[in-house]
Amino acid sequence: MSELEFEVDGRGLAKSFGALKAVDGVDLRIRRGECYGILGPNGAGKTTTIKMLCGAAVPDAGTLRVIGIDAVAEGRRAREQMGIVPQESTLDSELTVYENLWVYAGYFGFSRRESRPRIEELLQFFQLREKWDSQIKTLSGGMKRRLLIARALIHRPRLLILDEPTTGLDPQARHLVWNRLRELRRQGLSILLTTHYMEEAAQLCDRIGVMDGGKFLVEGPPLALVRERVGEEVFEFRGVEAEPVLRVLDGLPFEPERMGDTLYLYCKSGAAVMDRLLDSGRRNFLRRPATLEDLFLRLTGRELRE
Amino acid sequence: MSEFLQHAPSHRAVRVWIRHLVMYRTWFLAEWAGTLTEHALYLLAFGYGLGRFVPDMGGMPYAQFIGPGLVVSIAMWASSYEATYGAYSRMRIQHTYEGMLSAPLTVGDVVVGDLLWCASRSLIGAVLMLIVLAAFGLVGSFWAVAVLPVVFIEGFMFAGLGLIATAVAPSYAFFNFHYSLVVMPMFFFAGTFFPLEGLPDWMQTVSQAMPLTHAVVLSRGLIVHGHAPDAAWHFFMLSAFTLAFLAVACGLVGRRMLD
Repeated sequence: MSELEFEVDGRGLAKSFGALKAVDGVDLRIRRGECYGILGPNGAGKTTTIKMLCGAAVPDAGTLRVIGIDAVAEGRRAREQMGIVPQESTLDSELTVYENLWVYAGYFGFSRRESRPRIEELLQFFQLREKWDSQIKTLSGGMKRRLLIARALIHRPRLLILDEPTTGLDPQARHLVWNRLRELRRQGLSILLTTHYMEEAAQLCDRIGVMDGGKFLVEGPPLALVRERVGEEVFEFRGVEAEPVLRVLDGLPFEPERMGDTLYLYCKSGAAVMDRLLDSGRRNFLRRPATLEDLFLRLTGRELRE
Repeated sequence: MSEFLQHAPSHRAVRVWIRHLVMYRTWFLAEWAGTLTEHALYLLAFGYGLGRFVPDMGGMPYAQFIGPGLVVSIAMWASSYEATYGAYSRMRIQHTYEGMLSAPLTVGDVVVGDLLWCASRSLIGAVLMLIVLAAFGLVGSFWAVAVLPVVFIEGFMFAGLGLIATAVAPSYAFFNFHYSLVVMPMFFFAGTFFPLEGLPDWMQTVSQAMPLTHAVVLSRGLIVHGHAPDAAWHFFMLSAFTLAFLAVACGLVGRRMLD
């Protein structure tokens, strides 16, 4: 695969703040038309990685090309090709929806007249058309987030970068955002997002990378990663002694993990474990498919990050 | 050098100025009423109130003496407010700068756009004040309009100075230093209210080092007589301060906004 087929091609990226290595030698490649998710607990280095792409942080080491452009040396040109959706609203709250969009389009060199049809189209797409003349401060959180995404697409970028696109949204608003992002992906847009919602990553991403301590721990398609690293199924026991359960299951292939008052058993196939548990008369457990959340917690540990 | 070019301003700075203009539409009346009333009161209280006991200053009635100084003072205040409280809000509270920098704008575009806007506000204030002076019959020459480009440069300069304070300010409270140590001394000692000639030498030296002093000389000369003494020198000083403040402001804002 030639270099140009990567929309993002970062190699050996590093960034420290004093003694803290926020990003510690990261390779990041995103293919054209792919949706890639960076997962990680708080402080893992997700936001710093995104900031380097957006030109808001200068890497200490490594190379970074976006659509073939050196994003470190030619930040302005690189940003012409990217749409950037920040975590917090950077909209002008006193201005209307339309004013926000045409003013922002101006930053890309479009006149008000040139940008108008595109604004019509985007507001339609994000179900905001009737909010045309509304001031930003009157919009709900979900509307503001959709508007931020619409604004990032004003110049028809090839790559959309979103930092935690649905943090703080209610379930309806979140599903609408996911739905629009999937549609954009279907239209061929490349997407890079960070999230700590596992469902978000599972719903949207072709590939994910789990980050912690400034490095990628694993990378790949979400389902395959779960199968490979966790298994197919999980049994959960709450408030029981681990020993008797493990004795009953002696000899079967699974991996136990104890966390607080809960015992987790990860296994490739649950049938044998299930039979043995039922034979021993146990009913107080939960059998469920392994999820991305299991993968995430297994990789990054279950202790609290603050 | 390449890093400098990365952050250098371009014609896109005008787009930043447009954004500020669109915002201004939502609150300009309050500003006109506030700043203008304040400076018209200075003119009335000092020029006519105090002026009754000060028959003549610098060879002209007192009101006529201070009027042109108030034109450049209003410009200093307007642009300082915009570059401190206004810019702080854009930089730290509303994330406006962050939004701009996620578009293909550079730190230089954002800074120059901001300073152009602050200078525009100076210009608006100065025009309003000139109209007041004309209404009181204190404008002596048609060439008074030549003060407007001076005011624009002056506004840009004070905006650069204000933005330097904004870039290092940990909170709004920090601006008390800027106003009590920088802006107020200039307001009083740049020759607006009394002539600098005859002051002790050291005070004259300090006054000459104040950027506003040069704007006051130009303004008084142009508004009263239609020409100013040593205009080239004062113009040069204003420009030099402007470039210096601009360069420092760009550097500090870049440090604040980029990791």
